[in-house]
Amino acid sequence: MADKQVETTGHQWDDEEGFPLQEFNNPLPRWWLYSFYATILFAVIYWILYPAWPIPGGFTKGVLGWSQYQELQKEMTDAQSARKVFDDRLSAASLEEIAANPQLLAYAKAGGRALFANQCAGCHGTEGSGTTQGFPILVDDDWLYGGTLQEIYATIANGRSGTMPPHLQAAGGAFSEAQVNDLADFVLTLSNRPADKAAAERGKALFMGDAGCHLCHGDHGRGSVLDTLGGQPLDHNTGAPNLTDGIWLHGGDRATIVQTIARGRASKMPAWGVDSGESLGRNLGPLAVKQLALYVHGLGGGK
Amino acid sequence: MAVPPPVNPSAKYDPVVRAPARGATPRPPVDLSEKYDFTVVKWFSIAAMVYGLVGFLVGDLLAWQLTFPVLNFDLPYISFGRLRPLHTSAVIFAFGGSVLFATSYYVVQRTCKARLFSSLLTSITFWGWNLVVVLVVVTYPLGLVQGKEYAEPIWIIDLLITVVWVAYLINFVGTLARRKEPHIYVANWFFLAFIITVAVLHIVNNLEVPVNLTDSYPVWAGVQGALIQWWYGHNAVGFFLTAAFLGIIYYFVPKQAERPIYSYRLSIVHFWSLMFLYIWAGPHHLQYTALPDWVGTLGATFSIMLILPSWGGMINGIMTLSGVWHKLRTDPILRFFIISLSFYGMSTFEGPVMSLKSVNALSHYTDWGIGHVHSGGLGWVAMVSFAALYHLVPKLWQTRIHSVAMINLHFWMATIGIVFYITAMWISGVMQGLMARAHDTFGNLTYSFAEIVQATHPYYFIRAVGGLIFLSGAILMAYNLWMTVRHAPRVTA
Repeated sequence: MADKQVETTGHQWDDEEGFPLQEFNNPLPRWWLYSFYATILFAVIYWILYPAWPIPGGFTKGVLGWSQYQELQKEMTDAQSARKVFDDRLSAASLEEIAANPQLLAYAKAGGRALFANQCAGCHGTEGSGTTQGFPILVDDDWLYGGTLQEIYATIANGRSGTMPPHLQAAGGAFSEAQVNDLADFVLTLSNRPADKAAAERGKALFMGDAGCHLCHGDHGRGSVLDTLGGQPLDHNTGAPNLTDGIWLHGGDRATIVQTIARGRASKMPAWGVDSGESLGRNLGPLAVKQLALYVHGLGGGK
Repeated sequence: MAVPPPVNPSAKYDPVVRAPARGATPRPPVDLSEKYDFTVVKWFSIAAMVYGLVGFLVGDLLAWQLTFPVLNFDLPYISFGRLRPLHTSAVIFAFGGSVLFATSYYVVQRTCKARLFSSLLTSITFWGWNLVVVLVVVTYPLGLVQGKEYAEPIWIIDLLITVVWVAYLINFVGTLARRKEPHIYVANWFFLAFIITVAVLHIVNNLEVPVNLTDSYPVWAGVQGALIQWWYGHNAVGFFLTAAFLGIIYYFVPKQAERPIYSYRLSIVHFWSLMFLYIWAGPHHLQYTALPDWVGTLGATFSIMLILPSWGGMINGIMTLSGVWHKLRTDPILRFFIISLSFYGMSTFEGPVMSLKSVNALSHYTDWGIGHVHSGGLGWVAMVSFAALYHLVPKLWQTRIHSVAMINLHFWMATIGIVFYITAMWISGVMQGLMARAHDTFGNLTYSFAEIVQATHPYYFIRAVGGLIFLSGAILMAYNLWMTVRHAPRVTA
C-alpha cells in the first residue's frame, strides 16, 4: 500500500544474491512524531515540577519543592503522630491494664503482630505456629517459663537459657547406658505410652533419686510451671518441660528421649530488650516488648 | 473466500524458486564464500548456539533453585549467588555477543561488498572472545568476581575484553572503509554505534587499581561508583542488547521478507534520537537511593523521551512487511522477527514507565524487574537471534533448513515459555511490591519478608516451567541447525 505513493531512496546494497536491500522513503508516521513531541513536553513539565538540572551552586529545585528526604520525613512524621497518642497510653499503662482495654489491646496486638512477623517468626513460625523442633510453639498453653503477661514479657526482654544436663557417662554425666534407657522407659510411662514395666520401675527410682530429675521436672514430671516439689511450687524460671503431655520441644519418640537424657540439651531464647545487656540482644524498646508480650499472650494459650 | 495457493515449505528456502519481488530483481544463489570471510561467521554462529543452550540451562537451573533451594546442593560452586552472574554473562555476552559478532561480520561484508579488513584481527576477535567466555566460566563459580552487575569479570579479564573489543572496532571500521558501495547501510550504523559505545562503557566502568592477580579496587567510590555502574549497566542494555540487535533487524527483516525497509527517514531520526537519549537514562536504576533527586529525574525523563525513538526501530521492522503480511502464514522465521519486535516495543514502553519514581517505588527490588528484563531478553534479544541464525545457517552452509516444521514448533515453544515466564513475574512482582508496602493505619507492616517469599513460591514454579519450555525449544533449534549443517553439500576439492 505504502509503496504505491512512495519511492525508494534509489540506493541498493547486497544485490549479489537473493533480494537486494533497498529503502523506501516513507515520511515519519504522524502519530509517532506527535507522540515523540508529547514525551518531550512531558519531560519539560516534569523538569519544571521536580528537581532536575544541575546549575552552578546546586540544581533546579522544581516548583513543587519535592525531595525524597522530605517525602520520607513526612511519612515518618505522619505515622509517628498517628501512633503517639496510643503509644503514650501504652507506655503509661501496665500489661494487665492494656489487656483489659479492648481498644488499647487491639492497637498493641497489631504492632506486636508486625514485630513478631519480622523478628520472631523465623524460629517460632508464622503467628507462633512452630517451625522445626527445638523452638517452642506459642499457640498452645504449654509454657516452659510461665504464660502470664509478666512472664512472657520477661522471657522476651531478658531471654532464656534452657539447659538439660547430660546424663550418660560418655557425655560427661554419671549414668550408664542401661540407666539412661531405664529413665527413658519411665519418661514414656509419664505420658501413658507403652514401656518396659521393670525398666520403668528402675527408671522411676533414678528419676526421683540419684538422677534428681524431679528437682526440676517436679514430683509428677509435670514441669516447673505446673508441678510441685514436696508440695511446694517450683520456680517458673527453671524452664523444665512438662513430661506428661504430648508436646515435646525436641521430639517425643523413644530414640529422641534417650538422646535428650544422654547428651542433654542447651536451648537459647535471645534477649530482645534494649536493657538486657546481652550480646545477643536486639534492642527492642520497652514499648515494643510490651506489644510483643500482649500479642504472644493472645495467640491462644496466655494465662 | 479465496483459498491460498498451496505452499511448499521447503521452496521458501530455495532462492531459485522465490517469486520475483517488485522493484528489484532477485539474483540466483552464488557462491560468495570465496569472496567474503564466512568462516568466522560460521564459527560464531555455532558458538552462539552452544552458549545459548548453556546460558538458558543455567538460567532455568537458577529458576528451580529459587523454587526449591535444596537444588543448591550446599555446593558453593553452583550456589545461586555464583551461578546468577554466570547466567547473565552467558546469555548477554557469550550468546548475544556471538550472535552479534556473527551477524555484524556477515552484514558488514555483504553490504559493503568488501572482505573483512584483517584476518588477524578476525582471529583475535574469535579466539579472544571465546577465551573470555572460558575464563568467565572458570572464575565465577570460584567466586572470583568484582561485584559489579553485568561487569563481574576480574581486572585481568577486563583487559582481555578491551583488547578483543579494540580489534573488533578496527576490523569493523576497516571493512567499512574498504566498502565498494557509496553509502553505508543503516544496519552498519547501529553495529558501529554499539561497538564504539560498549568500548567506552566497558573502559570507564572498569577503571580500577589492581592489587594482585585477581583483585582490584575501582577508582569510582560510593554514589559515583553506583552511578557509573548503572550508566554502564543501562547502556549495556541500550547499546549491546538494543542498538546492535536493531542492526540485525535492519538487515535480516528486509532480506527475509524480500521487501525494502519501510522508511529511510525514520531510520535516521530514530537512530540519532536513540543514541542521544539512551546514554542519559542509567540513573533511573537508582531511584530512592543516595543518588541526588535531580539525577533520578533526568534519568526518568530521558527514559520517557526514549519510548518513541525505541519504537522507531519496531515500526521500521514491522512495517517493512507492509504488503507482504501473508508471508507470516508460511514463514516462521518472519514470525520470529515480528514477535521479537513486538516484545521489543512492549519492553521499551514498560521500562520507561518503571523508571518513574512513583512506579519505581512499587516495582524496584521485586520480580517485576526480572519479568521486564526477560520480556526484553527472551522476547526481543533471543527471538531476534533465533530468527537471524535460522536465516544465516542455510546461507552459510549453502543448503536448506532441515525442517521448517521444527522452526514452527520452536516458535510456539519459545513464545509460550516466555508468556509463562513474564506473566508469572509480573504478577509476583506487583504482589511483592504491594505486600511490602501494605500497612495498617498506625504504620505496622502487614506482611513479613518470609510471608512475601511464601506467597511468591507458586510463581517461581510457573516461571521455572516457562523457562524449561523455552530451553526445550532452543534444544530443538540446535538439533534442527545441526541436521541442516550435517546435510549440507560437502565442498569438493
